Order: sequence, then structure tokens, then C-alpha cells
Amino acid sequence: MLEFIISKYNFWFYVILMMIGLYAMLAKRNLVKKLIGMNIFQTAIILFYVSIGVKAGKVHVPIIIGGHGTHHAIKAADYLNPLPHVLMLTAIVVSIATTGVALAVLILIYRRYKTLNEDEILAIRQAGRETGA
Amino acid sequence: MKTVILIFVILAGGLLLYGTMDMPAWGDPNSPANTYVSPRYIEEAMEATETPNIVTAVLADYRGYDTMGETTVIFTAAIACALLLRGIGSARKEEDES
Amino acid sequence: MAQQFPALIITIPLLAALFTVPLGTLNRRFCYPWLMFIMAAVLSMAIVICGRVITFGPISYHMGGWQPPWGIEYRIDQLNALMLVLISGAGLLGAIYSGPSFKKEIDGRQTLASSLYLLMITGLMGIVITGDLFNIFVFLEIASLSGYGLIASGGNDAPFATFRYIIMGTIGASCYLLGVGYLYISTGSLNLMDLHRLLPELYHSRVILTAGALMLVGIALKMALFPLHAWLPEAYYEAPSAVSGVAAPLYTKVAGYLMIRILYNLFDPGFFTEVFPITTILSWAAVFALLIGSIYAIAQTDLKKMLCYSVIAQVGYIVLGIALANRAGFSGAILTIINEVFTKACIFMATGAIIYRIGDSRIEHLGHLFRRMPITMLAFIVGVFSMIGIPPTCGFFSKLYLIFGCVEAGQWVFIAALLLSTILNVVYFFRVIKVACFEDPQPDYERKEPYPEITMEEAPIGLLLPVVSAAAMILITGLGSHWIMVNLITPIIPAGF
Repeated sequence: MLEFIISKYNFWFYVILMMIGLYAMLAKRNLVKKLIGMNIFQTAIILFYVSIGVKAGKVHVPIIIGGHGTHHAIKAADYLNPLPHVLMLTAIVVSIATTGVALAVLILIYRRYKTLNEDEILAIRQAGRETGA
Repeated sequence: MKTVILIFVILAGGLLLYGTMDMPAWGDPNSPANTYVSPRYIEEAMEATETPNIVTAVLADYRGYDTMGETTVIFTAAIACALLLRGIGSARKEEDES
Repeated sequence: MAQQFPALIITIPLLAALFTVPLGTLNRRFCYPWLMFIMAAVLSMAIVICGRVITFGPISYHMGGWQPPWGIEYRIDQLNALMLVLISGAGLLGAIYSGPSFKKEIDGRQTLASSLYLLMITGLMGIVITGDLFNIFVFLEIASLSGYGLIASGGNDAPFATFRYIIMGTIGASCYLLGVGYLYISTGSLNLMDLHRLLPELYHSRVILTAGALMLVGIALKMALFPLHAWLPEAYYEAPSAVSGVAAPLYTKVAGYLMIRILYNLFDPGFFTEVFPITTILSWAAVFALLIGSIYAIAQTDLKKMLCYSVIAQVGYIVLGIALANRAGFSGAILTIINEVFTKACIFMATGAIIYRIGDSRIEHLGHLFRRMPITMLAFIVGVFSMIGIPPTCGFFSKLYLIFGCVEAGQWVFIAALLLSTILNVVYFFRVIKVACFEDPQPDYERKEPYPEITMEEAPIGLLLPVVSAAAMILITGLGSHWIMVNLITPIIPAGF
């Protein structure tokens, strides 16, 4: 059990971060805090992916040493795994795009209800439904 | 309500940690992720694509289609924001005038 | 040329979405014919691909010429081809519908809405055509973001409903991404066929089990399966009519396709008998979805809200068919997907036509609708028959296969639930038809002139044509269901059933 914690402590970090984000998304009543929780959730997943590609020991980032003038054989064990970095560049962009659209929706909500607290918005809708119906 | 959500979140975290028990250790150079697909990217990127930066080679050449999808995501978000927020400036101008 | 269709069918709507913006800025009236033209081109390409797959077998298309798993692969077999035809067909119907409907509901913003519409179709088609797991995530996000934008443009309460949809949809997509990450860390590959080959020796590993569970939870959130359905009724109720007429049939069914792929093409059916009974949990969730969707639908007073709850019930049918894990159940699930795309398109678009003419869709305002809008109501009746399961519509065959599947699996409780929900369907739909046929509209109904004789004021042709075509397709797929079974469903039944 102790060995599990010590050799894989990176996974503990990202799970705790993800659960903080999930709790914020579900339990907080302010809509902006829910959005921030969503961002934390997605960031934790990005951290998990990037931690997949790490190699212990004397390795370089995946840019070939010597650039264009290189003539020596390239050994895979000298470089980090490039694939998780590629996938996460796309995931970061997707996360930003979703946050952008969510913020635009929040602007529309604020214009209509003048508040960003979920409880107050539900109360306003309930009152509107009772008087309008 | 908040305590119910807290318990649920702790349970979900526990399940995820249970799932990590069989994972390779952090930084293992012989894990399946590091030995199956990636070595060919590293070894052949220079001669196949003439780009020293392997991440760029994978992003723009081997998996260039994902990059096209990613730029489409940005375009979609821009159009969605324009659709939602357009007319807010002109609506306010009408309110000021009337 | 036809060999490049798998790539063209995604790039053409994508580029068209890009060109819609300058085109619409030039003159707003260009958007509608442009949209119809592009969707017609996409539909013809999808039909050609489907024909080639039926004649020659599965097509494999390597993007950029790189071998999978180092590059991205498109693998089109009969299920993918069928989904492509369904999505482009519903997209064409929605494109024809969008002309008058956008003008009535979101006038002045048609350019951007048409562009988002094309992006939505691109995203949905990209999900069904690709064979690479991370590519599915990217296209899932394209489809979701365009959906959020289109639904939130509905005015009134739409932004608040959309926000909840955004939160739950993003949790779903992120859980799916995390599941893909777990699979990657244990195998190193992202290609569907490749993983299918690599996974069986790893079935005892806890990582794979968690990966499967995470991916299924993500897909269930996108699909609005029972406990995670809370976002759907509000979001599709507040959306503009053209959007709900296309989004309601398509999104949940594409998520159903994804569930079939994950359960049966990524993990073998043997995984669920040896390791963990995921199918049992799914089938019980489906039964609850059936019953609770139908019960909530009865309690509604608004037609469109009632239809949204009926979508939740129909998702239960599809998941029940998938989770039964035998030939008849699987065929029933796919026939339900086909049936649902056209039935929901027909019924939601008919409701949109009613809202266009009357102003809202509360059931008490629908009086004498048969005399005012006879063609629309006839198509509505065909859709209702298909939901209930009356021959010769496609709904009858799909329910028949589902019941056969339950009998084969020996689950009598499920048969009772299926029959009970069919009876509940009859109850709530016939209430609408009774009001539309026989009753007068209620007094607070907003007409300018005093209540005179009823004249026929049918909806404009742009709204009528898709509704009638969808109703015709329901009958055609019902009569041709044997052909569909032989050519499209039997080849893709997973081995081991």
C-alpha cells in the first residue's frame, strides 16, 4: 500500500484535482464557480495525459538534438514520448473553446436575470411561471 | 445536499484510484505507451518530414487531421459566440435612444 | 473520385460552413439555397458510400497515407454507412425546414445559424465515420459546441437550460477522454481495430475495467440515459424549432452508435460475461428510462415538452436492445435508431409547424387543428403510429425485434416494461389527437379576429415538405425493413451472438 502511494503519487495528485473540480461543478450555486470547476476538471485530465509520456533517466524533450544537421542515428530511448503532448495540445484548445461559449451563455443569462446565483434564478423562473401560467 | 455530493465525489475518487493500481509506475521507460507507437515517430520523423521538432511533425503530419478538427473547434466557438452576443450592442443602443 | 468520398464527406460541409459567413454577409437570402445545396450533395455522397459498402464490404481509408495506428484511419462498415445516410438525410430535411423557421424565430442571425448548422452536421458525421478514438473526441466536441450555440440562441429561458447542458455535456466528454487515456496508458494505441486486437490479453486488468466504465459513463451523459438525463427536456424545449427538429433525432442516436462501437467493437462481448456485468446495469437503467420517460411525459401540458420526455424513453429502448446482447436485441436496437431518426424528425418538425401557425404548443391550444392544418396532422399521426408500434411503420418492426430479444434472453420483466411503456405512449399521444380532432381551442387563445369558422391555413411549403418526407420515410423504412435487415444489419452483428 505504501509502495503504491510512493511509486504512483502523480496519479493521486490528478485524482484529487479532478475531484475538487467535480465537487465545484456539482455543489456550488454560483454559475461562474461551476465554470471554474469545469476548467479545473479538464486541467486535471490534461495533467494525467502529460504524465503518461514521462521517462525516467537522462532523456531529452522530443526535439532532435542537432536540428537539421544531424547525421547520427536517433534512438527512441533518448527522447520523451511525443504523442501525449500532441493530444493535449488539442484538448487544451477544446477546453478554451468550451469555456468561451459558456461565458457567452453566462452573459446572456446575466442580461436576463440580473443575477448569477442558481437558486435565485430558479426562484425567478418559478415566480414567472406562477404569474404567467 | 452538499454532504451527499461530497460523499459521492469521494467515492468517485476512490474508484478512480482503484483503477490506477495496475498502471505502470511513473516514468517507466518500458511501459506500453512508450514502446508501442512512439518509437517509430521519434526515429522516422526526421527523414519522413524533415522537421526536428517531433511534436510538430506528429501534430501536423501524422495526425494532421486532428489539428484540422481542432481549428474547426475554435471556428465553431467563435461563430457560436458571435451568434449569441451579436445584437447586444445594437439592442443597447436602441434602449438608450428610446 | 468515389474513392475519396470518405474524406470529402467531411471536408465539404466544413468548407461550406466557412464560406457561409462571407456569403451571408453579402446577402442574407443566399444562406438558405446554399444550405440546401450542400446538404443535398452530402446526402448523395453518403448514399454512394453506402452502396459501395453494401457491394464491396468495409472500406478502410488512411488519412494522409500513413498506416494505422501511426496515422488516423477511417473504417466504414455497414453500420457507419447507415448512420451517415441517416445523419445526412435528417440534415437535408432540417436544411429545407430552416428557411421559414429561422426567419420566424431568429431573424437577422440566419448566416451564423446556418454556418453552425453545417458544423453540427460535420461533427456528427465525423463521429460516425472515424476509426480513431481521439478523433471521435475532437468531432464530439465540434458537434457539442455547435449544439450549444444553436440551442442557446432560442431566446427567453434558453441560455439557462444551455448552461446546464454545457456542464453535463463537458463532464461526459471529459470522462470519455479520461477513458481513452486509461486505454492508452495500458496499450499505447488509439486506433479502434488495433485496440480490439490488443485488449483481450489485458481483460483482467483493473485499468481496462475503469476505462470501459468511464467511457460508458461519458457516453451515457451525452445520450441522456436514465439517471443522467436531467439536461435534455429543458434544452430541447427551449431550442428553436429547426434546431430541435434536427438535434433531437440525431445527438442521442449518434451517442447510441458510439455505445455500440465501444461495447462490441472495442471490447468483445465475452468481456461482459467474464469480467463485469456491465450489460446488466445498462439494461436496468434502460428499463427505468423507458418507464420514467413515459410517466413524466403523461404529466406534461405542453406538446413539445412531452416530446422531449418521449426522447428519454426512446433512448431507453435503444440501450435495452444493445444491452440484451443477442441477435434479435441488437437488430431491434439498430432498427429503433433508424425509426427514431425519422419519427422524431417528423414529430418535432410538425410541432414546429404548429408553433409557427399558432404561437405555442400547449395542448389546450391545439383544438380543431385537423381542420386548420390537415397535412401536418396527418404526418403527425404517421409519426405517432410509429412511436406506438403499429404496422407497417418501422416502429412496429423495431419493437417486435426488441420483444424477441427479451424472450431469447429470458427477461420477462423487460417485456412487461416494454408493453407498459407502449400503453403509456398510446395514452399521452392519443390525448393530443383527441384535442386536435374534437375540441375547441381554449378561450385565452390569441387570435386577432373573433372566433369564426375554421379555415385551412396550412404551414408554408418549406415547413411542410420535410414533415411529409419524414413521414414517408417512416413508411418506406417500415416496408423495406427486411431489405435493411439483410443488407445492413446482419453483416455487422458481432461474432459470438
